[in-house]
Amino acid sequence: MSKRTLSVILTVVLLAAFGRAADVTLDVKEHVLDNGLKILMIPKPGVPRVVCHIYYKAGSVNERPGITGIAHLHEHMMFKGTKVMGVTDFAKDSEIDRRIDELMDRIYREMFWTDAGGDPEKIAGWQKEVDALVAAQKEFIIKDDLWNHYMKNGGTGLNASTSNEITGYYVTLPSNKVELQMLLESDRMRDPVFREFYSEKDVVMEERRLSENRPGYLFSEQANASFFVASPYHWGVIGWMDDLRKITKEDVIEFNKLYYAPNNAVAIYVGDFRPPDIIALAEKYFGPIPRGKDIEPIRTFVPPQDSEKRIFGEGPAPTSLQMMFHIPPDGHRDTAALSVLASVLGSGSGRLTKLLVREKEMAVSVSAFSRPQWYAGSFRFSATPRLDKGVKPEDLETEIWAEIEKIKKEGVTQEEIQKAKNRGEAMFIRSLASSAGLAMRVGRTDLHRGWRSILSDLDALKDVTNGDIKRVAAAYFEKSNSLTAVYNRRTGR
Amino acid sequence: MRKILSAIAAMTIVCVGLGLAQATHPSQLKFPALAFDPPDPQAFRTELANGLRAYVQEDRSLPLFNIAALVNFGGLYVPRDKTGLASVLSSAYIKGGTGTRDGEAIEERIDFLGGMLSFNVGERVSTLSLSVLSKDLEEGLTLFFDVLMNPAFREDAFNLARARLIEQLRQANDQPAAVLSREYEKLIYGDHPLTWQATRKTYENVTAADLKDAHERFFFPENIILAVSGDFKKSELMARIEKIVSGWKNKPLSLPSFLTDFPVPEPGVYFIQRPINQGYISLGHLGVEDTSPDYFAIQVMNFILGGGSFTSRIVTKVRSDEGLSYSQGSRFTTRWGFPGTFSGYVQTKSSTVGYAISLILDEFRRIRSEPVTDGEMETAINFYVESFAGQFEMPQTTMRSFAMLEMQGKPKDYYRTYRSKIEAVTKERVQEVAQKYIRPEKAAILIVGDWEPCNEGGEQWPGPLEKLGKVRRLALTDPMTGKEIKTP
Repeated sequence: MSKRTLSVILTVVLLAAFGRAADVTLDVKEHVLDNGLKILMIPKPGVPRVVCHIYYKAGSVNERPGITGIAHLHEHMMFKGTKVMGVTDFAKDSEIDRRIDELMDRIYREMFWTDAGGDPEKIAGWQKEVDALVAAQKEFIIKDDLWNHYMKNGGTGLNASTSNEITGYYVTLPSNKVELQMLLESDRMRDPVFREFYSEKDVVMEERRLSENRPGYLFSEQANASFFVASPYHWGVIGWMDDLRKITKEDVIEFNKLYYAPNNAVAIYVGDFRPPDIIALAEKYFGPIPRGKDIEPIRTFVPPQDSEKRIFGEGPAPTSLQMMFHIPPDGHRDTAALSVLASVLGSGSGRLTKLLVREKEMAVSVSAFSRPQWYAGSFRFSATPRLDKGVKPEDLETEIWAEIEKIKKEGVTQEEIQKAKNRGEAMFIRSLASSAGLAMRVGRTDLHRGWRSILSDLDALKDVTNGDIKRVAAAYFEKSNSLTAVYNRRTGR
Repeated sequence: MRKILSAIAAMTIVCVGLGLAQATHPSQLKFPALAFDPPDPQAFRTELANGLRAYVQEDRSLPLFNIAALVNFGGLYVPRDKTGLASVLSSAYIKGGTGTRDGEAIEERIDFLGGMLSFNVGERVSTLSLSVLSKDLEEGLTLFFDVLMNPAFREDAFNLARARLIEQLRQANDQPAAVLSREYEKLIYGDHPLTWQATRKTYENVTAADLKDAHERFFFPENIILAVSGDFKKSELMARIEKIVSGWKNKPLSLPSFLTDFPVPEPGVYFIQRPINQGYISLGHLGVEDTSPDYFAIQVMNFILGGGSFTSRIVTKVRSDEGLSYSQGSRFTTRWGFPGTFSGYVQTKSSTVGYAISLILDEFRRIRSEPVTDGEMETAINFYVESFAGQFEMPQTTMRSFAMLEMQGKPKDYYRTYRSKIEAVTKERVQEVAQKYIRPEKAAILIVGDWEPCNEGGEQWPGPLEKLGKVRRLALTDPMTGKEIKTP
């Protein structure tokens, strides 16, 4: 091995990066495999456990009408096994699975491609055949095999989640068993097999029903859809029920092929380990997986609204007000000022609580938060009026607008700005205490703007001035940039 | 430089060499041994002259200071006509200020420092907790003990807190999941302080003087245990605390006693009407106290039955096999001084409510009638043993666990002996405790859902729900008045 190769290994293999905020160092070690998979490591000696997370840049923003909810459904399907996991005889299992898919394809065509839902007798006949095949397949299936292996090896925090932009797979293991995660995650990155697809779709539809039965859910789903008209934030992560019904296994396979590639993922380890051991294991297990296709950034744009939007609802949830404003996506130069503004207005001792909850006693609660997502952002106010005082959502709206107009003119006080900065910094330091929280924050951030942006965002926060506050308030808090959602509890039920 | 380079290269090669061939299945993996001894509570315990106890751990990894006071007082000790006092106390405690500080000013200051100060009254334990950067330790400590020792319960803060709570009563029947858990406890414990609900009237009976009285009776050194961790020197910190609390006097403690004899509900179906598209279901009966010698075997048994997520029988059957639900399983809840509840639970679309219940009842019966498998035992026991170290990851959580252990009078060697007690559980013990603590024939089945479609059932399990036992329709109460809501 020549000297030159060695120094390449040094810079690429063991790239330790340091960032500082307050007096705290965020020390993340990086290693990128040839296939593009990035390994991040934060050693934390102490309790012999390692948080192991893997994040894919795949979420509901990667969907389109007709397959909404597929990123999340796919996340469920990733637990159904591979060629070696979840199955006793892969050849026999896949033969049955193929026949199930053929029949289900016929059923879906009959149900969804014809008017009036097709011929029920035909469908029932095929369904009977499917049921028999599903029963026969059970002989070859090892139920929830991956979950079982993780649990019997002391895996905790075992879960997965899908957001608008990211899907994550989580487990925390004893520090001598990280290899198990490498094996299982590389195996399902390479060869997932989506057996038990149709019953799992039922599970996901039940998950959606759980949301639907939360009072107010359907209204906020509509409000959100009305707010984001032209971007994939238009639909929720769970997807529309009709799409869930019609999504095919082919759709899921296609989604997998595109997004579940090593060059579209980051694996992060936090806990009691030595980085060289993690790197060696990652090379061994993830290294041989071929790189996937380059992925085009999603195409999206939030068109100007032109005029104010209002939406009204009525139902079994508490009477409430929501005001939403379009703001730029994460990483914009206004992001920091908007987050200071949210803190000044919406924190527990913030302006709106002081004014509307304490002084005027008009609200049970009021909050404000700034949510800059990857491709579009929103600034939201929520408030619950004091019905016992005869207050209506619209009254709170008037009050909030008055406060906004005041800030546009005068800005806020130096003390309020300093408070928001202190809170941001303390929150950052506190977030370093939990290994799982740290893995989540660093891993997720890295997929978009790199983990160092956690630190540069903190620096940007420190630079916010009252001038910035006035400027962003004027720029974004315009009626023509807003949606107001007024909801009243229906009485007499 | 070259020397460093080759050292790193050598290290990399050694590491790669360690693993040899790449495994393709978990069964091929061999893991090196790993020893872990849990921290010993005694090593962190300290007691001040006035009887204030503390579990304290220095942790220099981050510039943070965390302190919590666990007070032996909870909502359970409140008289019936003042039910809700605990909630008022929770939200008015800090906002009500202290003898020398306005509540708003305290919150404002803590917020300015980027700190967190919160107070919560639980069933039997109240907790005041503070987290600040360690550079603000001095000031944080002063505020913390001022709030702990000298709350003033100013009228304006008290009135506002109470009015907001009354306003929030309107939401008490909104969430089907909340209705289910509240009404299930009422079924299992009957009319008991554990299940009393606040109404407008009981809230209105609570006065600021009542809060002051609760503080005077229960907040004194011997009735409190501190949990402290962070970036400080233990001896110096304790000296500071000693100085602050030296004048704080103890009082005689008198706690009410409670009936632990609960009326047994008649088995069968209890139905609460809500216009939703799923049934929210809990079925079971009274459980057991976690101090029972059977408790370790119960944990293993319930892991196999429905507590062990996807490795458990109920989840496999109801979710993975049948696709009936997203959330399902079984649980033994625990509460200090009382038996918890046992329940199987599931949320499923209206037409499969009866079917899902029948499958869960089948699993109740099966775990009683047949021994569990060796594989199930291995997974359950290994899970508890191998994941054990995880609960000691965060020093503040560990200190709080130790403080709770002492407050509840549990043995100090609880953690040290935990794994061996789990490992001692056998298949025979699992079946024995299943037969003793799971009684499907006595199960009360509570359903919150839409009556018509739930009762009608579906293809796999056509209704009526009466097939599961006598059906009783329960009325909800109006949260404002506590009176039954007449259903049409």
